[in-house]
Formats: sequence, C-alpha cells, structure tokens
Amino acid sequence: MTDVLDGDERGRGDQFTRRSLLLGGVQAAGLGLVGWRVFDLQVIGARRYGPLAEDNRINLQVLAPKRGRIFDAYGRLLADNEQVFRVMITPGLAKNPSGVLRRVSRIVPLSDDEIAKIVARARKQGRYVPTTIASDLSFEQVAQLNLFAPSLPGIATDFALRRRYHDGPALSHVVGYVGSVERFAINDDAVARLPEMRIGKGGAELGFDGELRGTGGIQKVEVDARGRIIRNLETVEPVGGRDVTLTVDSELQRLVSDRMQREGRAAAVMLDIATGGIVVMASVPGFDAGAIAGGIAGADWQKLVQSEDKPLLNRAIAGQYAPGSAFMVVTALAGLDAGVLSQGERIQCDGHYAYRGEVYRCSKHDGHGSLSVHEAIRSSCEVFFCEVASRLGITRIAAAARAMGLGGTSNVGLGEEKAGLVPDPDWKRGNLNASWLGGETLLTGLGQGYMQATPLQLAVMAARIASGRAVVPVVGKRAGAPEFQRLPFGVESFDAIRKGMAAVVNDENGSANEAKLGAGKPMVAGKSGGSKVFAGFEPAEAPRYAIATVIERGGDGNATAALLARDILNLAVDRAGPAHGDIPPGGGVVPATNYGEKAG
Amino acid sequence: MMETLFATRSTFGRPLRLSEKLWRINWPLLLTASLLAGIGTATLYSVSGGSFQPWAERHTLRFLIMLGIVVAMALVRLDVWMRLAYPAYLVALLMLALVPFIGSEALGAKRWIDAGPISFQPSELMKLALVAALARFYFQVLPEKVGKPLFILLPLLIIGVPVFLTMQQPDLGSAALFVALGLSLMFLAGVPLRYFALGGLLALASLPVIWSGMHDYQKRRVEVFLNPGMDPLGAGYHITQSKIALGAGGVAGKGFMQGTQSQLDFVPEKHTDFIASIIGEEWGFTGMLFLIAVYGLLILMMMLMAQRCENHFARLAIAGSAMTFFLYVFINLAMITGLVPVVGIPLPLVSYGGTSMTTLMIGLGVAMSAYVHGRNGRG
Repeated sequence: MTDVLDGDERGRGDQFTRRSLLLGGVQAAGLGLVGWRVFDLQVIGARRYGPLAEDNRINLQVLAPKRGRIFDAYGRLLADNEQVFRVMITPGLAKNPSGVLRRVSRIVPLSDDEIAKIVARARKQGRYVPTTIASDLSFEQVAQLNLFAPSLPGIATDFALRRRYHDGPALSHVVGYVGSVERFAINDDAVARLPEMRIGKGGAELGFDGELRGTGGIQKVEVDARGRIIRNLETVEPVGGRDVTLTVDSELQRLVSDRMQREGRAAAVMLDIATGGIVVMASVPGFDAGAIAGGIAGADWQKLVQSEDKPLLNRAIAGQYAPGSAFMVVTALAGLDAGVLSQGERIQCDGHYAYRGEVYRCSKHDGHGSLSVHEAIRSSCEVFFCEVASRLGITRIAAAARAMGLGGTSNVGLGEEKAGLVPDPDWKRGNLNASWLGGETLLTGLGQGYMQATPLQLAVMAARIASGRAVVPVVGKRAGAPEFQRLPFGVESFDAIRKGMAAVVNDENGSANEAKLGAGKPMVAGKSGGSKVFAGFEPAEAPRYAIATVIERGGDGNATAALLARDILNLAVDRAGPAHGDIPPGGGVVPATNYGEKAG
Repeated sequence: MMETLFATRSTFGRPLRLSEKLWRINWPLLLTASLLAGIGTATLYSVSGGSFQPWAERHTLRFLIMLGIVVAMALVRLDVWMRLAYPAYLVALLMLALVPFIGSEALGAKRWIDAGPISFQPSELMKLALVAALARFYFQVLPEKVGKPLFILLPLLIIGVPVFLTMQQPDLGSAALFVALGLSLMFLAGVPLRYFALGGLLALASLPVIWSGMHDYQKRRVEVFLNPGMDPLGAGYHITQSKIALGAGGVAGKGFMQGTQSQLDFVPEKHTDFIASIIGEEWGFTGMLFLIAVYGLLILMMMLMAQRCENHFARLAIAGSAMTFFLYVFINLAMITGLVPVVGIPLPLVSYGGTSMTTLMIGLGVAMSAYVHGRNGRG
C-alpha cells in the first residue's frame, strides 16, 4: 500500500516537475517580456521621454512688459499706465470657493450670478491657478480684503497695469488706443497670449507699437501635477517698452479740436515744414480713447463702430477727398517747369473751354478775361488750367502730383494711413479696364475726377511747395532736423506759385481771402478747392507751417475750409506759445520771397 | 474511502521537532522577500519627499509583523492548512457574494468589506483560498482521474464562481488573476494538455461576449490601452505619465529622491500600483533590471521548493504561491509599461498597502509550512 502510494506520488512528482519546468519557462518568458519592455522604454525611448518629463515639470510663465509712455512735443504726458487693484481666488486654497466669495461680496459687491460664474470659470482651470474675481478695486477695498485675509482662504490681491490717456478725445486719433490681442495674432508671440496684454489698435499706439510694447519676461517655475508652483527656477525680468515722443503740440491740438467741434465731419493737419513734424492733426467727430482703455461696454463700442459719422476714423490720414482747385498750383508748377507755360504768358478765359467736342465751364461764367498764371491762381480760373493741363498731358501732371506727395502713403506712424489716388492711363486700364479719355487729363489738372488726397497729403503738398523740398511728415519726434531733398522744379517756378498763393489769400480779389489772419499777424498763402478744401502755409514770406483743412460736412452753411484754416492758424499765432517759440533753426530752409510788390 | 484518497499518509508520519522545523525554513527566501520590502521602504521614503511618513514606516512595520507571522505559520503542521482550505474557500466565496450588499464603494466599484477597524477585500482572501482549495482538491484526486471530465468540471467551477463574482464588483484585475492562477494550478496538477488547447479556442470564441458584458469604464480602459493617445489627460494619463517617468530615468536613473515625475505628483498612485515607475525613474534601467532579477530569484526559489516536496498539496500550494507572486509582478510591470490595461494590481511587497502584503505573506507562510512539513524527513 505504502509502496503503491509512494509510486503514485513519484509518478505525480515527475509530472509535476515537468509541468513546473514548462510553467517556469512561461514565468521566465513573462519576466523577460516586461524586462524587454522596460529596456525599450528606458534605454531606447530615453531620448523621447526625458524631455517630456521636463515639459511636465517646468512651466514657463510670461511676464508682461510695461508699455512705454507717450509724450507730446513739449514733454506733456499723453499716455501712461496706471495700477489697478485686482482680487483673485485660487480654488485649491479655498475649501469652499462659493462660501469664500460670498464673504468677499461684502467688500466687493458680487451677485450670486457672478459668484456662480467665477466658480464655474475657476473649475475649468487648474486648482492652483488663480482666477480674477474683480479688478479696479479701490484702495479701501484692498485694505479691507487684506484685513480679513485670515477668514478668506484662497483670496489674494495684486495689481495690473492699465493704459491711461491724459488728453481726452482731442488727441484720441493721434495717440490712438490699445486693445486685447486678436486671436489670429497670438501665435507669433508668447507675451501676446497673456490675457492682460494690450497692443496698439490705432494712432501712435499702433504705429509705434513695436517701440512701446517692450519685451516680455519669463519666469521658469517648477510645478507639480496640479499646477501648483513649487519653486522659481529662473526669472528673466520683462523689459519695458520705450517712451515715444510725438511731434504734436497737445495744447494747440486741444484748442483746434475745440474749434472743430462746430463742424460735422472735418479734418485738419498742420505740419512743421522744416522737420515734417505733425504739430496738429485733428479729425471730427472723435472718440475718447480713455473710455476704450478703461473697458468700454459692448453697446458703446458698437455705436462707435457703426456710427455713420465714423468717429473712429482719423480723417486726416484716412479720409480721401478730391482736392479740387487746390491742386491747380501743382498743375501751374508743372506747366511752368515744363516750359509749356511762361510767367508772362496770358491766356484768355471766356467762361468756357472747348476740348474735343466737349465744353468745360469756368466757375466765373462770364469769364475772367485775359489772365497770367499769377492771376489764374489768384482767381482759381478753371479755363486757364484746362489749357495748361491739355498742354502738359496726363503723364507730366501725374508726375508732378506724385512729386508733391500725392498718391502714396508716407507712413507717419499712425497706422490706418490711406494713399489717395493720382490717376493716369495705366491706373485706369488696370483698375477700371478702360482707356484714358483726353477730358480726364483736364479734370485731373483741376484736381477733380478720379483724383483723391488725404488732408495729410494736402498739407505735405503745401509744405513741399512752400519749401521746394520733399518734406516727409512724421508724428514721432526725430533727433535733429532732417535734410529734405530738393524737388526737381525750378526755383523761379516755385517762387511764382508761392506768390500766386499769397495773392489768393491776401489780395482784395483773392479767391480765398477769408483765410487772411488779423492785422499785424503773419501773412498766409494758400489755395482752396471749392469751399471744402484748403491747403496753405504761413508765414508766406518764410514758411514755417503748412496747413490743410477739409470739411466733409460743415456744421453750418458758412463753414469753409479756408475759414477753418484761418482759425487754426490764428490759434497757433495767438498762443505764441512754445509752438512758435521753439522752432529749430531749420525753419529757414525756404528762401525769403519778396511779397512787397503785388503781382499783376 | 477517505483514506484511499489521502495519498499523503507517509508525509505526516513523523512529527518534527521545533528545531528541525526552524532548520527546514527557507531562510534565503525570507531574506529575498525582505530585500523587496526594503526596496519598497526606500521608494516610499523617496516618494514622500524624504520622509518615513506617511508610508515608509508603516510599510516596514507591516512587513516585519508579517515576517513574524510567516515564520509562525511555517511551524504550523501542514494538515492544519489543508483542513482549512475548503472552509477558507467557502468563507471567501460567501464574502465575495456579500460584497454587493454589505461592501463599501470606492472609485465606483464595490470591493471592500468594512469590519470595524479593519477593512479588507474578499478577493484578496480568495487569492489564497483558491490556491489552497485547488491544491486540496488535486491532493485528493487520484492521478488517473485527473483527466476525467468530472474532475475537469469541478476545478473549473472552483475557479469560475469567484471569477464571476469579482467581475460583478467589478474587479477585472482580480478576475483575470483568478483565471490565470487557477489554470496554472490545473496545469501543474496534470490536467491533459488537450483541455488547455480546447479552452484556448473557447476563450477566443467568447471574447466578443466578454466585451459586451464589460462595464463602460472597463471598455474605455481597454480602448485607451490600445490607444493611449486617445485620452492623454483622462484614462490614458496613468500610462502616459508612467512611461514618461520610466523613459526619463534612462539607463542610470535620476538618482534617489531625484525623480521629478514622482516628487511633483505627475505619476498617479505613485506609492501603490505605480511604485515601479518611480523606481524606474530614480534608479533607471539598472534598477528595474535588478528589481526584476530579485523577483525572478524569489519565484525560482519557490518553484524549486515545490520540487523538493513529496506531498502533492504542499507542492501545489508552494507553486501556487509562486505563481501568485509571478502574476502580481508580471501584471503590475506590464501595466506600468503600458503592455496591459490599467488594473489595480500592486507590486508585491514593494507597493504600499496592507491587503496585498497580507495576502502574499500568508501565501508565503502556507508555502513555508508546506516546505517544512511536505518533505519526507529528508531535509
């Protein structure tokens, strides 16, 4: 019995050993498999997974740079940053966020609805990422929050920077405003991803955004899996943006803006001829950049955007108007310089001009009679300039227009600048798919037809005629006076045109003598285009300032661009402030012209 | 009848003296187990940021107590354990059946039973009881009957009932472990290979049925396992972070307490199921190889122990205990390396947690008792 059992036992034992070997093999294979897998991950995959652990661990926090300030030409502060206090909650530190928020609401009013929204917003992000509850707190509220801090777990206050504008609506178009970064622009800049980051959206804030913005800093922090900051690894401080000084005289600008409130839609530009600096640039109606920076209500913003008056549009650089008769001076200059017209030559105006079967009427229906170029400018005679234009041809007219700064942008640094239009046959073929008509040459010579110019371009045109140099406008102050290139027109031709423009304003029968300043004041020279456009300079003898005014829709029936220009120049002269006192010696670029004798 | 079925009279013939018993204990095996527990202590010290609290100290204490229990169990006569086998199985089965009614829920699954100060998982007790019951069963079955259909059906039932009950909880990991454990014992007991081949085919055929019977979260785990990128922050997060930890460790590791994945809480369950990811991150491939080698040694020692026993219950119990260790280690390491879906199987003796430690050590205790008493005087 025992032997049998023992035998059985042995038989079972042998089988057990065989099967144990097989099972042991399976076990060895299993351990081998995980061993190989570990090898695959740790040795072969090391290069792939190592950086992933670093990505996990290190969180780069971008620190927003402080935006540069904006000053006017006389160092007056136009835009800077103010601190606004904020209160935030870190849900991971507050045991019961809504309870804590209800206690906060005794200091900072919060409705139940707002509390629910904040809790929902906080829930979407990491438990240790703070969520803003409210900003723009008063100092008292911050003090109270800090006083009750022990009973408000997870609540913290800090401050953010907000843009502040000092000059109100008068400078809003020039200084511009800032806004959140658009979604599409976010990708190229980590700083732009910060919710509090603001970038320039208009005016100098946009044009000088690169200077003003500064460089973001980086804080490298080690975080745990919940996003809680463990320690600071490295901080690269943000570099604040550079301050920008503009060429505008903010006080004069404000006076001009006040004067222009009378007009419905209008724009004015005043340039310092020697430097090209924009002293005044006004556009009505306007808006308040300060209100936009402070967080404008959606409805108010919509009103600004959708208003027919387009208050956000800076008409001085983005409004395009037919220059009309104001352009005659360019046609005259081109004619004199090309030799198709001489100063002594007289052309008969009978009130109409026949050209290839069509008849063009002069504004004076019974005709000006026999006119010299000086008299034609003074009287704004269409027939005279039809003849000059016809002699010149479109190519030479267009070239002269472009030489005067029309038909192209000068990138003054305000963003939305428009190029206007100097038409020629190439342009017409390319854009309207039609051939140039001879009559269109005449219209162009009169500043009508397709021709379009911005007020800034008209001011540049006046500045170039006044100086004979290729004045380039700027709004950011340059170091030293620039040396503008001489324009390719004869000095005598310029001189004749300038004298004609002086006659327009100062002669008894000048076509825009309402632009004349009061007795004892400097002499103004200029040329109007109908009642809506005026371009000129002063003083006529040694020009320092060029001015252009455009009235798109006057506030009353008597409003003319020439009157507006007179009022603006009067303000500038009357102030006798730094605007006139601080002129750099570059003001003498223009050779003095003797206006003592009246031409005629 | 009983006497004829009992084929072990001879092995119980001569009572052993205490000194003999102590001499027969496989001390090197206990040393190897202690080494593993030590690795656990060191890693738990590291993951708590260099502190014996809250895990390392308790882990060590628990192991030392269980080590004493193992030695004490080794001195208990084998027939005591043999007699306990069926009752233990029945108790475990009853508790498994009761879990849906008296169990407490954790993480969406009812697995625990609270009994005053101690709470435990009946499925853990079942791991021991299943090995004991099957060993007991085959001890009793004459070799020529092992291949008879009735004697195939009975152990399948012994395995199948707890598998069914644990799948209800639902605890897929334990169910899979029962199946693997039960089948390997049937294999060792000499069930003809044709049954395994047949079983394999049946299993393949029933995969769709199993799939449709699974809970949504289980299906999701399987799906995520097949494609972890599908949900890198949800269900795939565990595996992804664990892989990152292992990969970041490289060959040499980042050094003790230098693993950023664990120190900064990126690896979930870093002190329990995913502790090996931390070992891999801090000690590198070298450390992992060492760890696997220690487990291999432990399992090998136990499998050799089984060979030295004449008592069929003894060798099946020892091999079953070895197999339990192997399955824990294999499933755990396969899980943290993304080879199998995430199931709640800890790393034996290294992971923090009383239940698995208790189960494994009691299994070791029974195995040791079997080793001490299962040899016919030849020591």
